[in-house]
Parts: sequence; structure tokens; C-alpha cells
Amino acid sequence: MSDIFNKLEKIVSDQYISKDIYVRHAYSRNVDIVLQGVPDIVIRPKDAKEISEILKVANEESIPVIPRGGGDCEFGGSKPIKDEGIVLDLKRMDNILNLDQENLIITVEAGISWGKLNEYLGNLGLYTGCMGPGSGMTASIGGGISHQSVGGGGCAKYGSCTNQLVSLEVVLPTGEIIETGSQANKFSKFPFNRFGNGPDLSGLFCGDNGIFGIKTKISLKVFPKPEFADYKTFLLPRKSAETAAQIMMEIRRKGIDVYDTMFITDVVIELGSKQGFFPLWENIKKKKGMLFYTIEANSEAALKENVKILDDIILNKKSEYLGPEISDGNIAKWHYKEQGHWLFYHNLWGMFPSMQPLSAECFCPIHIFPQVIKDVDQWDIENNEDMQKIFNITKIRPISGSGPIPLVDGNNVEVTAGFLSFWKYYEGELYEIIQETNIKLWKSLIKLLVKYGLQYYMMGEFLSRFMVEIGAYSEEYYNFMKSIKKTLDPKMILSRGKYNFWGGEKS
Amino acid sequence: MGGREKLSGLKHLKEHWEDIFSCMGCGDCGYSIRPAVERYLVCPIKEAKGEGGFEISFPRGRMNVLKSVLLGQIPLSKELGKWVYECSECGNCTEVCHMTHNENVALPTCNWIDHVKVWEALRKDLVEAGFTPLEKHSKLIDYMNRDDMRNPYGEQKIKKYEWTKGIPELKEKGEFVFFGGCTMPLRQSETLKNMIKILQGAGLEIAISSDEWCCGSIALRIGDEQSLQEFIQHNINIFKEMGAEVVFTACAGCYRTWKKDYPELIGEELPFQVKHITEILIELLNNKKIPFKVQKGESRKVTYHDPCHLGRHMDLYEIPRKVISKIPGIELVEMKRNRKNAWCCGAGGGVKSQFPELAKEISKERIKEAIESGADVLTTSCPFCIGNLKDAFEELGPEVQEKIKLIDIIDLIALKI
Repeated sequence: MSDIFNKLEKIVSDQYISKDIYVRHAYSRNVDIVLQGVPDIVIRPKDAKEISEILKVANEESIPVIPRGGGDCEFGGSKPIKDEGIVLDLKRMDNILNLDQENLIITVEAGISWGKLNEYLGNLGLYTGCMGPGSGMTASIGGGISHQSVGGGGCAKYGSCTNQLVSLEVVLPTGEIIETGSQANKFSKFPFNRFGNGPDLSGLFCGDNGIFGIKTKISLKVFPKPEFADYKTFLLPRKSAETAAQIMMEIRRKGIDVYDTMFITDVVIELGSKQGFFPLWENIKKKKGMLFYTIEANSEAALKENVKILDDIILNKKSEYLGPEISDGNIAKWHYKEQGHWLFYHNLWGMFPSMQPLSAECFCPIHIFPQVIKDVDQWDIENNEDMQKIFNITKIRPISGSGPIPLVDGNNVEVTAGFLSFWKYYEGELYEIIQETNIKLWKSLIKLLVKYGLQYYMMGEFLSRFMVEIGAYSEEYYNFMKSIKKTLDPKMILSRGKYNFWGGEKS
Repeated sequence: MGGREKLSGLKHLKEHWEDIFSCMGCGDCGYSIRPAVERYLVCPIKEAKGEGGFEISFPRGRMNVLKSVLLGQIPLSKELGKWVYECSECGNCTEVCHMTHNENVALPTCNWIDHVKVWEALRKDLVEAGFTPLEKHSKLIDYMNRDDMRNPYGEQKIKKYEWTKGIPELKEKGEFVFFGGCTMPLRQSETLKNMIKILQGAGLEIAISSDEWCCGSIALRIGDEQSLQEFIQHNINIFKEMGAEVVFTACAGCYRTWKKDYPELIGEELPFQVKHITEILIELLNNKKIPFKVQKGESRKVTYHDPCHLGRHMDLYEIPRKVISKIPGIELVEMKRNRKNAWCCGAGGGVKSQFPELAKEISKERIKEAIESGADVLTTSCPFCIGNLKDAFEELGPEVQEKIKLIDIIDLIALKI
């Protein structure tokens, strides 16, 4: 390993590489607390050229490489799955390279966070539209593109962040550097369009969960932030999920271009209120689901017109408007005006100390999500015995349900269904029982959701392998994906565990 | 294995098991930028390390390491000490982790983690295991423990009281007792003289001990709690004997240690009130007890740097600002990052003594921000911040020194009386 270290050190210089045991452990987890493996080396390259050299060395030595952006994947997306490999920390590459003000296209290095990019754009009256994932204060643009991320605001209007993609610079697993979109034409002087020049090879890398290449440079469309906006929150009647779904479908049918619409489930409101998360709803007696919208417009008249249509849709469903201020209960204002969209994803995490989410984030047609929520409740009842095992040890029963459900592209929503449980909390034998029960429950819940046909987008190592293990992909599709992987990455060095491409080891 | 049975030698960290495993690793403690609530980054160490900073240089990476330590996967060691003492314990990470910046919405990342307490627990375990203090910290502790010194500067005890010569009105006993600490009497004594001038001018009788010991803040921050017990008892007894009803200090670090740490460590309330100088000054200003000279036409823009030990650690944000606002001819302007979002000066947590260059880099960033505010004076109320900012000023050279002056809040008042 020291030979390899020396070779890599020559590429990046000693300041940007480490084999220190503590540095390596610092990179051994993502947004989860589970240590599956510790890398041999952590390296922080500065550009595509260095990454290319690193990958060439990795290929020579057949060492796995794990690219890491913000490290915010909940399913093991950017951590080693065993004690080996090189973690490639892309956060050093966080520069804004160019803003094409005429064409409204920004080019950035892949390691920049959504927060940093939007701060820069905000000063110019611009924004990225979809603000990336809920973890956008830390999560990188590269990670967002690799996961088709949504959740950080704006996804009802702009969809997944990959919708804004114009072109990519990618280092292929064998070290070649390519550019996509308009930049596939080497005579193109600047990125201006994603489609054309043959097949949409940018799409190959969108949502690839980091298996087909390492994104190094990304060009995105950016948008002028409209001058006018409104934001309202409503308390829904009984059967809040069904009502929320009807409202969302009607909004789509009427073609109202909402920036965000989000349904906050009964369980989030009820438990969050008990835990003191929502002082703004303290005075609401019947804690039911809520729905909020935010809408933007370029004129006051256009805003007024759309707000009236939206209010009619929602109030016709026996919903109750909570008032304009955050203190009135208007969480939409906090979400939009105070950039709370980058915090909402945290809700229910940490409800109790050491409590962790065991969930899955998926795209789901609007009309299906109420039934998904019901079935998760039913699943909870059916698995009461296992839930009880955890309760008997921790005295707190795991909590099942879904986090807030935002409207995304087309007639879809994002559902974060799962349960909260304890993980590394209790010692020894008791811990083993908890761990075993958690994994059993998690797999059973994910299987339930997969069988709905729901689409996972942030898959990481865990979900990608699970999809394969339960046979969710057709054989033809899986083989097609695998053949692309083999062509691009014959030694399977990049994100080796994902999708069971590497020898089909069980997770 | 769950691992608690492996935790021998991790007495203090073990108490923070829940904090550490409550960290989900979102990374907002390293990267948060949320302009709507004036949040522009978090960790001064990470930023000062620049491109060279690995994840272990900010809280998420450290929490990951501690998870592994608690699970028995990696040991404590001196090498770990070198990493983790690179932290000024400013508490900005906790601020980001706990807050949603709106009193009506409390959707924190995690409410269960007190980062500074976790870092201090780790430091205590490292000290108790014999891996630390690090070399320069050891010297400070040695000086503190020497009978002829009792201060971390390695100065003779008697030198701490030289500044009082020529101030005969200082009492040996009284209700209103000043605790000088070490930094101001030994390094910034002119400011203390100005303070006495202001207070006596307002008619206050001040008592001062000639045998106070260091408050012990440095030992606490380094993790050497053992050394501290004797200091606490000595200092409390001295002031009790003097008849103190109010003990006040002009040092933010001493204030935090006296007001927060002492009661926690002895398990009971102190037998007197503890106040920071700005709390005394605001009372005097409110009662118009400070006779300012009338100076026509003069106006200075002043920006206030929140010392971590006053602000984030003690929630004392507004009083110093009120003091500044009451000084004639001064306009208070805020830096981009202020109050809970304030950028640390970089000196705390033992960083200044062990890693002086790192501390200075952080201060340079703060000075840059002060200049951007449009102020021509940067003021604060912590001698440690003053010292570190001053070192950075000197290194930044005349170009910066001409743009902005660094003046303690006490001296700012003294200039006007």
C-alpha cells in the first residue's frame, strides 16, 4: 500500500493525501452512523486531471475508489463498504468557474454545495430553481446530479436538479475525461444546451449514484428569482393524505406553476408538536396533516390571480388557512423566506437521542401516496412484535410513517417512508437484538415499497444492492446496466459495491 | 459489538455516548451557508485550514472518529490529540446544529449534541490517559501550578499586580470585587487602568485581591480538570473572605469560567454574583454615571466582535452593543456575521498557545470582515480576542492598520471621558 500511496502523493502533493487512521475514520460514514469499512487512503484532488491520474493508478492496482461529495447519502453512497479503497473527497473542488449572464448558465466544480452556489447567485438576483436536496447546505452539486436530487425547495416548479443540467465534465473510471451536451462538440466555445450531438449521454450520469464516472465540472441553467411570491399554510381535514393528493392533482390539472407544494403528514405534526418542534402550531387543537404552497410570479397581478385559484382549490376541500405570519402557523413563509427548505429534511431525525431514520426516498405518483402511507401504517401493525422487541429494550417504540411529501416533477411526489429507531445506542447483546431487528424491519418495509413500483433515486450501496437482491430489475435491464458498467469500468473500481456488479456479494 | 464494555479509559466520553451517536453526519457544522438568516459558514478551523482541511478538521469528521473510538475500533492517542486540539471550542457548530433561527419553528438538525462539552470530554480522557496535554499546553499548566506564578504566562505572581501601583483607592475588602484574571494584568494593563478610571469616576469602590489565582479556564479547555479543583476553592475562599457580593471581571474567558463552570464543577451556586464588565458599564451608562466629554463633530463607525465566551457560551450579545451605542459620537455597525453567527477570533480552546499561526489566520478573516462592515474601529470585550486580533493586525501590516483600529470596549469609553 505504501507504493500506491507514494504514487498518489506525487499526483496531489502531501498536503492533500492521508493514510492517518483518524483521518480515514472521519471519512468512514455518511448520513448514517454505521461503519462498514475504513478506506486505506483519503485523497483530495484539485481537478479532473488529478482525478484522471488517480483513477489510472487505481486501475493499475485494482483498488476501489469511492467518490465523495457532501457525504450526505443516507444509504451508503460515498463510504467504503469494507476495509479498503481510496475515498476521493471532492469538496476541495468547490469553485464557481463561470457565469454566462447572457445565456443564464453557470459552470461550477462538482464539489460546491447548493448553499454556496445559491449564495453567489442570490446576490445577482438569480437562483438554481430546484435548490438541490434538503441537505443542500452541505450536499454538493455533483452529488445532487448523481442522485436526481429533490427536496431542497423548488421541485414542484423545476423538478429534480438534473432537469437544469446543461453539460458535464466527467472522468471515466479508466481515466479519460469527457464533456457532454453541447460540449461534446469540441468546437463549442461554451456550454449552452444538453440535448443534441447524438444521444443524451449526460443522462447516463444523472442518478448513476456514482458508478459510471466522476463528475468534475457541471453546467446548470440558472433562473432570475421572480420578484413576487406568496406562501400559505393550511390545516387539512380528516383523511388529510387523500385531501392533499386531491389538491396536488387539481393544482397540476389547472396548470398552476407552484414553486413548492408540500404535505406534512399527521404523524409528523402530532409527534413533532409533542416534541416541541412546532411552536407555531401550539394553539391548534386538532393536530392533523398540513399542506402548504409557495408560488412565484413576475407581476403582482399574475401572483394574485394564481393565489386565488390555489386558495379556491384548497379551501374547497374544507381546509383551514392559518394566517400570513410564521407565528400564525405559516410554515411556508419560513420554508421560502428563511431558507427553511434546507432544514426540513431533518425533521424527526433526532426526535430522541441516538434515534436514526431507516427510510427510503422515492418518487411516487400523486394518486398513490395516500395508500402508501396507509400501507406503511398497516405494515407497522403487522410488525408490532418486532417493534415491541425494540420498545422492550429502549422503552421508546420505533415510529413509522413518512416525512413531508413534496410535489415534484409532473404528477409525482417524493415520499420518505420508513421508521425511526435506535441504532448504536444500547450495548452488547441488546444492541445485537436491536440491530438485527432494525435490518429485518427496514428490508421488509423497502420491499413493500418496491413492490408498489416506486422509484428510489438516492440508492447508495444499500438500496442499489437490495433492488438487485429482491429481483426488482428485469434481467434484461440489469444486464444492460451491467454491460455499460463493464465497458466503462472493466475492473469495477468505482463505487464497487453498488448494484452488486462486483461479484454479487450480499449486503 | 455495541461497545460500552470496551470503554475503560473513556470515562468522560462515555458520558456523551448519546450526543455522539445522535450526530447523523449531515455536515452542516462544516458547510452551512444560509443567507436568509445571515449564516455564512461555521467552523473557523476548517476554513483557516483552507484546501488542506480534511474532514477531521471540523465537527462531523471528529464525531465520526469518536463513534469509532466509542465502539473500540480505534484508540485514543497523542496523534488524535494533535487533531482535536485544533479547535477553538467556539460553539458555532452547536449553534448550527440546534437552531432554526426562528422561535416559531424548532426543526434543529439535532438538539442533543453539545459539541463543546463533547470536545472537552475527549480532552479530559486524553489527559487522563496521559496522551496530552500537548507540549505547549503542558507548559501553561506547569506555570499555573507553580506557587510563585499561578498564571499560564510564566510570570511571577507579583507582576500581576504591578498595574495597581499608583491606584491607592483600591480596597483590600469590599462588596464589589474585581477579578483581574491573567491576560489583562500581564498583557493589557493599560486597559485595566482605564477601567478603574471609569469605575472610580462613576463613584464605585472597588476591592481587589493580591492573591487571586488564574481562573483555570485554560486548564478546563485543555481538559486538565484535576488541576482545577484547588484553583476554584482558592479563588472562591479569597473572595468570600473579602466580603464579596459581586465579583466582576473584564475577561470573557474568566467570566464564563466563574459564572458557568465553577458552579457546575462544585455542584452549587457561588456565594456571590458574577458579572462581566459590560454588565457593570451598562448600569453606569443607564444611570448617566459616566461623564463623557462633549466632542463636537466627531463620529466613528464601530463594529463589535462577539467573543465566543460571552456570546455563544453565555448568551451575552446585546449588553456590549448597548454599551457601545451609548458612547457619544459612535455609530455601531454590524459585521456580516454577528451574534450567534459571529466568526470566532481563533484564540480559544488552547489554539492560540498551541497553534498560534492557525489562530492568527482566523483572526485575519475576522479583521477582513470588520473592514467590510465599513467600520473604522473594531472593538470587543475579551482580552484574548484582543491579543489574537492584535497579532493578526501586526502581520497584516500598515495597509490594514490604516483602515481600522482595534480598541477594547473599555478603552473606547476611556477615550471619551
